[in-house]
Amino acid sequence: MAVMFLNLCGSALAGQASPPLAAAPVQRELTDEIGREVQIPQEVDRVVSLAPNLTEIVFALGDGNHLAGDTDFCDYPPEAVQKPHVGGPVNPSLEKIATLMPDLVLATKSINRRETVNALDHIGLPVYVTEDPHSVEEMIASVEHLGSALGIEKSAAVIAEDLRGRLSDLDHHLAGVAPRRVLFVVWTDPLISVGRDTFIADALRRAGGRSVVETKAEWPHVSLEEIVRLQPEFLVFASAHAGDTQHDIDALRTRPGWKSLEAIQQGNVVVVSDAINRPAPRMVAAIEHLARALHPEAFASAGTKPRKLKPQPPPAISAAVISNPRIEEACACAR
Amino acid sequence: MRPLTLKRLLWTCGGLAVLLLASVLLALKLGAVTISVTDLVVDLGRIAIGRANELPTEYRLIVFDLRLPRIFLGILVGAALSVAGASFQALLRNPLADPYVLGVSSGAALGSILAMIIAPGLALVTPIGGFLGAIATIAGVYFLGRREGQLDSTTLLLGGIISASFFSAIIMFLMTTLTGRDLRGMVFWLMGDLSTPVSAGMQWIFTVGLVAGVGAIYSTSADLNLLLTGEREATHLGVDVTRVKLVVYVSASLLTALAVSASGAIGYVGLLVPHAVRLIFGSDYRLLIPASALCGAIAIVLADTLARTIVVPTELPVGAMTAMAGAPVFIYLLRRGLR
Repeated sequence: MAVMFLNLCGSALAGQASPPLAAAPVQRELTDEIGREVQIPQEVDRVVSLAPNLTEIVFALGDGNHLAGDTDFCDYPPEAVQKPHVGGPVNPSLEKIATLMPDLVLATKSINRRETVNALDHIGLPVYVTEDPHSVEEMIASVEHLGSALGIEKSAAVIAEDLRGRLSDLDHHLAGVAPRRVLFVVWTDPLISVGRDTFIADALRRAGGRSVVETKAEWPHVSLEEIVRLQPEFLVFASAHAGDTQHDIDALRTRPGWKSLEAIQQGNVVVVSDAINRPAPRMVAAIEHLARALHPEAFASAGTKPRKLKPQPPPAISAAVISNPRIEEACACAR
Repeated sequence: MRPLTLKRLLWTCGGLAVLLLASVLLALKLGAVTISVTDLVVDLGRIAIGRANELPTEYRLIVFDLRLPRIFLGILVGAALSVAGASFQALLRNPLADPYVLGVSSGAALGSILAMIIAPGLALVTPIGGFLGAIATIAGVYFLGRREGQLDSTTLLLGGIISASFFSAIIMFLMTTLTGRDLRGMVFWLMGDLSTPVSAGMQWIFTVGLVAGVGAIYSTSADLNLLLTGEREATHLGVDVTRVKLVVYVSASLLTALAVSASGAIGYVGLLVPHAVRLIFGSDYRLLIPASALCGAIAIVLADTLARTIVVPTELPVGAMTAMAGAPVFIYLLRRGLR
């Protein structure tokens, strides 16, 4: 019985000697952001994205019609929800991905599991893996890299230029303004903030803020005592539903510790779109919003504007905040 | 209890093998994409006569590169864990013993985490690290469990439990202090997961290990029956207790190490399947060992099919399914057995 199965598996694997995507005409070799060599067809027609930020980037590049599938968490733009889903980013169905017959699968280094990438390699589907961005600039560079992986360098260059232009406008406005000392609240129970090497900490810097938390850990659990000692000028929350967050913030006013924060007492609380949690082009809009909230005075003198800011899309609603997956996973333990 | 005859042994195992085959066909059919039985049979025929290249590409990817190796791995892991569980229950004379009670899974998990920290990104780093961790734990617990040159069941059990909690503590420490990243996969691994394909070479290693381990344990099954009455009694009846314990300990631990390194720590199968088999077929180890192997394989194949299909297209870790389905089945069998 077992031997029969082994023979079946063996012959199936032997059959794999001819590449599974033999139909693809010309291959080009590319090094992805984590240094893997990837063979992808000259023309990329069918893309499967395994992370919400990558889905957003593909749509931002105008390549949404080539997106053959994405994950259950891909909720922006609305068209992304209509695409066939392959499961969650951490545990997608390999079978479903294979059915979609992609010429290229996009994955991230830390939202997706290494095992998923290895498994896709194993069955001969090319995977382009992005490095975790540690700054807004790295996110923009990632847009350019994905543009060249998808063979649409030109539109990637246009988007990158637009994003960089908007950020340098912000820099211009905020030149000479003292940064606000802020606490970015990822989670309140327990209090989780961002470390200094995350793209969110960089986004705060670009918006004229500076996180009071300066650890190397990415999503540090921070002691409330420490925050009371540091007394940040502003608290920043990210939310898709500003109303719900406002309710939570009101509740904090009466809680021990939180109520001794001057920022809470004085109402210096900013709720930005949760786009700031997702390294994709839309996060620049959230940065612009945050900059205006932290430094209204810098934007009040509108006469000196060097360039008109482009109209922003409304902050998007998204159901799942996947920026801090460790919260859900923290309870798993070894038997 | 009815005496065990060769005829009964063969009939029982034959029946279970047919059930296993049915489970495999069901598992091949169901998934994110459902495939008709006719297509399956035709394709299996094509593969068998060496014409695999005629299959449509996506079909070959899904059924033969993803589903079949996964089912095969499930069979190996289920058989290994169940036989290991049955053996540890006899060796430790404790009905609560399971393949992980001696700390093997925690040792394997720690080994994998350390391997991931030292050499991140290599394809086989998790199973190899896991296997080395399991072997190191087995050796360590063996020396903890020796008293006056003898393998003492109680000391062994305590040594295993203490090692397990010690390793778990280190794992929790590493997982909270190191920045998440590559350790994200560990969560799945700790729950037991079959979704990562294994290379053909590894399949051979697992198969050979399984056959050797189960064979060695089966060769002691008559002695295990006597050992259940007590060590002194078994000695008086002419059983070389020291040798039997050593063979069973080493073989069952190796089976566990293989299973854990292939699939992570799939819980409950090693505990529940041998008990279920005992309640249905009686506790003669000459039948219990092969029947546990077959039932364990069936249990994992079915549980993994559920894990793949219950929330399509997302995949659950198979360990979550064995835990959810295992407990009610066990309670039912236990109540039925009491009547």
